[in-house]
Amino acid sequence: MIRKLPPEVVNQIAAGEVVERPSSVVKELVENALDAGARRIRVELRAGGAEAIVVIDDGDGFLPEDLPLAFASHATSKLQGVADLDHIGSLGFRGEALASIGAVARCRILSRRHDAQEGWEVRCEGGVETSPQPCGAPAGTRMEVRDLFFNVPARRRFLKSASAERARIQELIAELSLARLDVDFTLVGDDREILRLPRDESLAQRFARCFGEELAKGLLPVSRAFDGMKVEGLVAEPDLARRDGKLELMFVNGRLARESSSLHAVRQAFREYLMGGRFPIYALQVALPPDQVDVNIHPRKAEVRFVEARMVAGRLHETVRAALLGRLGLPMAAGGVVIAPDMPRARSGFPQLPPSLFGDAVLPPPPPSAAGAEPYVVREPVAAPAPAFARGAAASTPPVVSRLNPFQRVTGRYLQVMDLYLLLEGQDGLMVVDQHALHERVMYEQLRQQHAARAVQSQRLLVPTVVEVTPAELAWFEAAQEALQQEGLHVAPFGPGAIAVHAVPTVLARLDARKLVRSLVVGDETAGMAPVREALADRFHSMACRSAVMSGDRLNDAEIQQLLVDAARLEHPHNCPHGRPTVLTFTGPELERYFRRRC
Amino acid sequence: MKILCDRTALQEAVNVVSSVVPAKTTKPILHNFLVRSSDNGITLFATDLEMAARVELDSVKVSKKGSVLLPARETGALLRELSDPTVTLESTDQRCRIESGGGNFVLLGEDPAQFPDEAKVKGGKRIEIEVGRMLRMIQETAFAAAREETRYAINGVLLDASAGTVRMVATDGRRLAISYATVPTKAECKVVVPLRALNTLARALSEGSKETLSIEVGDKQIVFVTGKAQLVSQLLETRFPDYEGVVPKSADTTVEITRAVLEGALRRSSVLCSSDMRVVRFEIGEQSLRMTADNSSRGRADVTIDAVVKGSGGSINFNPDYILEALRVCQLDTIRLDMSDDSMPAKFTLGEAFTYIVMPISGA
Ligand SMILES: Nc1ncnc2c1ncn2[C@@H]1O[C@H](COP(=O)(O)OP(=O)(O)O)[C@@H](O)[C@H]1O
Ligand SMILES: [Mg+2]
Repeated sequence: MIRKLPPEVVNQIAAGEVVERPSSVVKELVENALDAGARRIRVELRAGGAEAIVVIDDGDGFLPEDLPLAFASHATSKLQGVADLDHIGSLGFRGEALASIGAVARCRILSRRHDAQEGWEVRCEGGVETSPQPCGAPAGTRMEVRDLFFNVPARRRFLKSASAERARIQELIAELSLARLDVDFTLVGDDREILRLPRDESLAQRFARCFGEELAKGLLPVSRAFDGMKVEGLVAEPDLARRDGKLELMFVNGRLARESSSLHAVRQAFREYLMGGRFPIYALQVALPPDQVDVNIHPRKAEVRFVEARMVAGRLHETVRAALLGRLGLPMAAGGVVIAPDMPRARSGFPQLPPSLFGDAVLPPPPPSAAGAEPYVVREPVAAPAPAFARGAAASTPPVVSRLNPFQRVTGRYLQVMDLYLLLEGQDGLMVVDQHALHERVMYEQLRQQHAARAVQSQRLLVPTVVEVTPAELAWFEAAQEALQQEGLHVAPFGPGAIAVHAVPTVLARLDARKLVRSLVVGDETAGMAPVREALADRFHSMACRSAVMSGDRLNDAEIQQLLVDAARLEHPHNCPHGRPTVLTFTGPELERYFRRRC
Repeated sequence: MKILCDRTALQEAVNVVSSVVPAKTTKPILHNFLVRSSDNGITLFATDLEMAARVELDSVKVSKKGSVLLPARETGALLRELSDPTVTLESTDQRCRIESGGGNFVLLGEDPAQFPDEAKVKGGKRIEIEVGRMLRMIQETAFAAAREETRYAINGVLLDASAGTVRMVATDGRRLAISYATVPTKAECKVVVPLRALNTLARALSEGSKETLSIEVGDKQIVFVTGKAQLVSQLLETRFPDYEGVVPKSADTTVEITRAVLEGALRRSSVLCSSDMRVVRFEIGEQSLRMTADNSSRGRADVTIDAVVKGSGGSINFNPDYILEALRVCQLDTIRLDMSDDSMPAKFTLGEAFTYIVMPISGA
């Protein structure tokens, strides 16, 4: 028998979409407080929020006449008609949160407008609302949510431990707070202050306060204005990357939200700096005209869609790329996203280094006789202890941020051991270098540079390779046709369900054209040109790997010096293209601790 | 079984059948070849299940009929090392004793009954061609075939016979080689022969020989027979692209060049192509051909050679390896290039019956 569900059950089911666990309640309540113009928000938890969640704000407060509708579903003061849906400026707009929370918990609102003498109180328990009662209250709003899921035992059983829920809420508040540096946030758990974020600190300060002070040193500011789009925020040095994607934070018009092509584009910008399985750290504020963003696609508003997704993704890529380059004072290639965008074309703006690390005058003396017989040969080529790079740099270029390239801070003493490792004296301490990994990175950058410097060429195919595609893929190819051609891949529509490949990039000419094209469309068809570039990068990786010096190759002085000169010019010297580290540094204090010279 | 035969003849026969014995296989029995005797001769047979080779040897003294399975590699190596003009093979059960001046050897074989049978070819059409001509056709095409499984002409060469002409065509999608011959027979067929079978066949054919190779094309197999040897191969069931469509019918420019000069010049310029960007630019002058290669990290090459030029001239880019590979098997003194522009296939005439089409590189 088909029966209409009683309204409480309907509300409980609907609530399940919005209210999943305590953190989803906190998210909705904090967003409401922000929408009400709060400058100070305090969140108190009991038992990770399962017993109680209290959110206190100093915002406008409820209009008394709105209170009877506070827990009604689809009741909102933020949206009036359909037309408003495409320029939503507030975080909430569905009028569903309080209704959903009210259906599955015991709630109380205490609220007073700043200009009113009297406050109001209203309660709601399992969806049943009391009528508002006047009472004394501080200006602003206090929302209490107790006994979450008291009437949905199935849900209650699925709650994680109090500490796990509390940790998630802490993360959430940290994330939300990054969008609003002008608001003071406090999180208290079982009467203990967990997080205190004073207002008007810088983004970097707040970021470090939230996610760890050790990140503070490696945060690069990002700020870029485009026509109708602004990007601001921070990206962390690639070597700080995490094993999960938790700190890939993007805010769209102040709303913490993901968008798949942008996510991909930013990862792409980091790609060759990261070891496999690592995720970048960043917090980016993207400001777009509200009608360019659809925020109404996800029940918890955690995802958004852009009208011009590809353009936004491209600009984000460019912005992040530029920030990563900015570390070394290298300009970005003009024209936005190009192959190998991390290298300036043909020498432009590249710091001019002397041809040798030590200059001809101070070439090392010939190695001690019978060097080959000694297991380890100590070489001390320079008398002067001055950092070699600093001398070269001072001559012609502005100083660069040297934290980033430890090879710019070597004293010039080195030692090859086990025909594989180089021990260097750096200003930060003792550096141990994997010669193969480092040389691989050097070769890789050189190949990319060469590639960027020359015109894109295409090997034409005798008979076009026809690849079947879905209508959506076909549409994508039609749109991307010109951009692909710039990368050397010539495709054209071929009847209703196929495309024909007429030419492939010469560098990839040995690959099967069909596979190349399939790789463009598998999975995420919003990935844009990325797969072509990935294929190129892979090709460079394997070429670099093949031509790099191997472990077991005894290097002579000239070779070691050349490697160090090349390494000093690297934009990202810390990893080989496969992501393995190139250098390990033991700092003075670390060594001292090890030898118990200090504790 | 007991036989006495000429050692060199046996060794050659073993070599022929060994050419199809697989180097690696999950069926170890295929490492063997089968010897079967009749009243006054023996037959050697080996297969890898895709190809099979059979050689008949007469003038053998058979004192006891029978059959035996012998390990191909060891038998071949042993026969090479023996010095007597004759050799005796005597088998009981699965052991075979080999007796020759150098000593007494026992080879352990396997049960002949377990060895795969020879395939019967159905629906055969017969083509006869001179051995030397067939060898040239294989040499002029096989190099251009795609060697990776992923491309459409999977490891095979098209054999297209019609109206008294046999054409062999190979392509990897970037270039295409056509070699043809006129034959007395009028059989019609269009099949793709595995590259491996052609390479095996080529090893058994001698340069310039006027003997007859008879080819029998069945529905699923192809059989090549010369003298007493026979090679059977499975055909590939691939669709071959329409090769006639890609042969350009006209050209803006025709260039005639001395082959040896072109080969030398191209070899020199290609030294300066980087390994990932194999591009040499051809610029057609008034009566010259200029070749340039540019490797931004290693240097530049610039070579000009004499040429007889007709037409509007212009320039075109090629992967030099494609051209060098073809020149290596070209026997003409003067070759001809018909070309138009970057987007049109260029045609090289490399022999009286050897045409080579190369797609240029655009966008340089
Ligand atoms: N902290 C608050 N301060 C002032 N008004 C609030 C607060 N929380 C909720 N409201 C009011 O209650 C309404 C319903 O809230 P909610 O159910 O979250 O819907 P939405 O935020 O989508 O409008 C809001 O539109 C707003 O008018
Ligand atoms: Mg809300």
